Amino acid sequence: MKTLSLPGQPSKRGRGSLRAAPGLFGWTGLALVLVVPVGLFLLTAFSPRLFDQGSAWLSVASFQSAIQSGVLPGIFDSILVGGITAVTSVAVALVLAWWVARTNLLGRGLWSFLMWAVLLSPSYLVALGWEQVLVSHGAFWDLGLRVPWLTNLFFGPVGVAFVYITKGVPFAFLAVAPALAGIGREYEDAARIHGAGRIGAWRTLLPMLAPALWAGLALVFAETISDFGVADTLAASSKFPLATFTLFNAIDNYPVHFPVAAAVGWFLVGAVGLALLLQARAIRGRVYGVLSGRTRNPVRIQLPRWGQFLGVGIAAGFFVLALGAPVLGALTSSLLKPGAGHLAVAELTTTYYRHLFHTGSLIAPLEFSARMAAIVASIVAVLAVAMAHFLTRRQAGLGARMLDLLLLATIALPGIVLGAGYIFAYNLPFINDVGIHLYGTALLLGMAYLAGALPTTTRILVGPLAQVDQSPVQAARVHGAGPLRAWVSAVVPVVARSCLWAWLLTFTGVLFELPVSQMLYPPGQFPLSVAITSALSTYIYGPGTAMIVVSIAFALAVVAVAMLGFRWLTPRGWRNIAVAQR
Amino acid sequence: MAATPLHLVGAKTKNVPLVVYSSQGYDKNTVKAFQKATGIPTQLVDDSTGPLLARIAAEANNPQWGLLWVDGDEAFAALDRQGTLLKHFEPKVDWTAAARKVIPSDKSYVPTGFTLACALIYNSAEVSTPPSTWAQLSQPQWKGDLGMNNPSISGPTYPCVAGVMNHDRGISAGEQYFLQLKNNGLVIHDVNGDTLNALESGQIKLALIQSSAAIGAAEDSSLKVAFLKPETLLPSVIGIDSKVSHQERLEAERFAAFVLSKPGQHQMQTGDPTGDSLYWPVLQGVNPLPALPQFSGVPYQVVNAYTWGPKEATLNTWFTNNVVS
Repeated sequence: MKTLSLPGQPSKRGRGSLRAAPGLFGWTGLALVLVVPVGLFLLTAFSPRLFDQGSAWLSVASFQSAIQSGVLPGIFDSILVGGITAVTSVAVALVLAWWVARTNLLGRGLWSFLMWAVLLSPSYLVALGWEQVLVSHGAFWDLGLRVPWLTNLFFGPVGVAFVYITKGVPFAFLAVAPALAGIGREYEDAARIHGAGRIGAWRTLLPMLAPALWAGLALVFAETISDFGVADTLAASSKFPLATFTLFNAIDNYPVHFPVAAAVGWFLVGAVGLALLLQARAIRGRVYGVLSGRTRNPVRIQLPRWGQFLGVGIAAGFFVLALGAPVLGALTSSLLKPGAGHLAVAELTTTYYRHLFHTGSLIAPLEFSARMAAIVASIVAVLAVAMAHFLTRRQAGLGARMLDLLLLATIALPGIVLGAGYIFAYNLPFINDVGIHLYGTALLLGMAYLAGALPTTTRILVGPLAQVDQSPVQAARVHGAGPLRAWVSAVVPVVARSCLWAWLLTFTGVLFELPVSQMLYPPGQFPLSVAITSALSTYIYGPGTAMIVVSIAFALAVVAVAMLGFRWLTPRGWRNIAVAQR
Repeated sequence: MAATPLHLVGAKTKNVPLVVYSSQGYDKNTVKAFQKATGIPTQLVDDSTGPLLARIAAEANNPQWGLLWVDGDEAFAALDRQGTLLKHFEPKVDWTAAARKVIPSDKSYVPTGFTLACALIYNSAEVSTPPSTWAQLSQPQWKGDLGMNNPSISGPTYPCVAGVMNHDRGISAGEQYFLQLKNNGLVIHDVNGDTLNALESGQIKLALIQSSAAIGAAEDSSLKVAFLKPETLLPSVIGIDSKVSHQERLEAERFAAFVLSKPGQHQMQTGDPTGDSLYWPVLQGVNPLPALPQFSGVPYQVVNAYTWGPKEATLNTWFTNNVVS
């Protein structure tokens, strides 16, 4: 595929140092928030003495310990489950995204909204919800649905992959949906004019989605192999240990073995390196700019009655599977009286919710986390666009490849690794000696949130940005706009919707982020996730689950307001770009 | 009880913030009361024991915590071996006999209360005569009826496993015992809440969980609690970082003294009435909450933290690989 381009790029000579300044600034920033903390943590695998984590200055003993702890089967399981999850999630997301973005399927807004609800559900909640439904004497048992083979199947690799797929679909959807909406009608028309049927037209469209599909695959793979929630619950109960469980054991059992955790971290980074290699081979040397100034909006396919039934059925089926069990679990736990074994109207109470608002135990943590999330999301939305742009430039070279590896490696490392890395890096005595006191402050927590959110958000934006053709930018330059103004006026309207999604993803992610919050929150200022975990650690689930329900309702309200705000406040032209017409 | 007077120490020096790392359900109100009583600015980092210990380990070359307050003394024994804990700060109080058994010879930490690592909780609607010995739990009569937590995930469960092995005089005998339980249909859940849920829904009839969780759950329900002989003591413990400044050390000592004073005990007993507050006091003259039976009737054993602490990772891995299924 060729892109339209205008000749005569402005000369770069003579302005080299000026042009290099943002790059230098960017790499320095990345080094401070990502490279140094993650690098120092990984370094402890070889040099435990460096951070008082052992006696050896140089050793590979931590790798031997990790292997003795059974990390290799865990790594194999993680890669297998991560691969299956990535492929299946992207396939499911593609189908759902096609229905939502390119057809007149009923309830399109609702399905997009529910995708956020799935994204917000912590993976352990999904796993525990299904455990409670399927376990003998669980909800299915009460309803007379006694299916031991299904229970056995769920408590094993199949169940683990199932939960990961439900959690992976929203990530893939966010990567794929804007890209699918952005492929203009002309490509479909061209295929149809040349005799292609509907399937043939798809064959033409699918390769254009390659960057978004690969971005989705890599993202879901990295998110899956770094997950703690399912590894600690369903996978551990099912005797299906994943790599992160070994890492968790090294950190959670006393004495803590950070070098062993770092060794497992190296294995996870290696796995992501393999995935990146595959991705690079698949899309090397190709150009995917399809969103140009002449792009025509696609036309929504008018589904026949049976098509509506099928589409609504599949979408509803997915969301029942993804949300049904955790919602049922959270609602019943937060509404059932203590000691009530079964769901019955007489056993319901709103005590926990009234207690929550009466004591104000949720307000301060929610306010603190919402403020942090809003600030971090706003910064991340800007930085992620810039970095995704850097990654998708045609002249992207070694720098872009290094950045790509860094971003995915960070996604592949569990949050607790980032938290510990931040302590190693910013609690060094000499840093305090020179008067920098970042450790234990909200600023450092915000930096770590940013470091955790930036990679995922950037990767999600890679797909949509790879589709942005350079011709509108060049047209703006020809008409006298400077580089920044040209980019802002030509590209921002095109990627605005993706940026909004990126902002929301970061906002909701930070709002519920747990491992980094646990390791770095300033004394006395409790983040939402820490307050919820603290409430859940008591022996009655009610107060904790009531907090989860109220917090998720708050987050969904923010999502709804942001989506409606985008519809009402942005210029009409922004909203018409890359949106199928009736 | 003769606690150290709170106003005697550090009166002339300017206070610095005391940083308390704690996993106790009653820590927020206790810290608030301490701050009010002494004027010492106190910053609380409240979390589960695992994340707190991970945070302390990561801070090893520049510790930020002043005082640690969590359940179980195994971690304190390990910290003591690393030379991290301040020794001989023990407040002058009237300890109970059980408390004296827990305090290490170098006085590097002090107990603040006791729970039991694995009390037996059962559904009295289904079980009229519960097992009365550990051996009975593996009998066919209870096949598929017993549940417990995974020690790799649930913090208080490792002392339970260690206690059984300690009682059975050795690791291999203890491992054999847990394999017998597994063969008798032992049901493993992650944490107390899940195990209690299984008990209430009828999936299991008996469970081994921490006594405060069991007694809290047994209030207002058909669940009842029994103690098998011997039960393993699980102390809540305070330790002080040996590397903190002189002033913060004095403040940490005052905090420990406050917790072991009558006002401090009142805070511990009112902060989490259905959870951690259900403990047996370590001080003479302080009564437990009414929901708790008299401690004199509890057949307890003390497990040596310095012996069993270092085995935690190995035994948890063995348990996950051989018993969890």
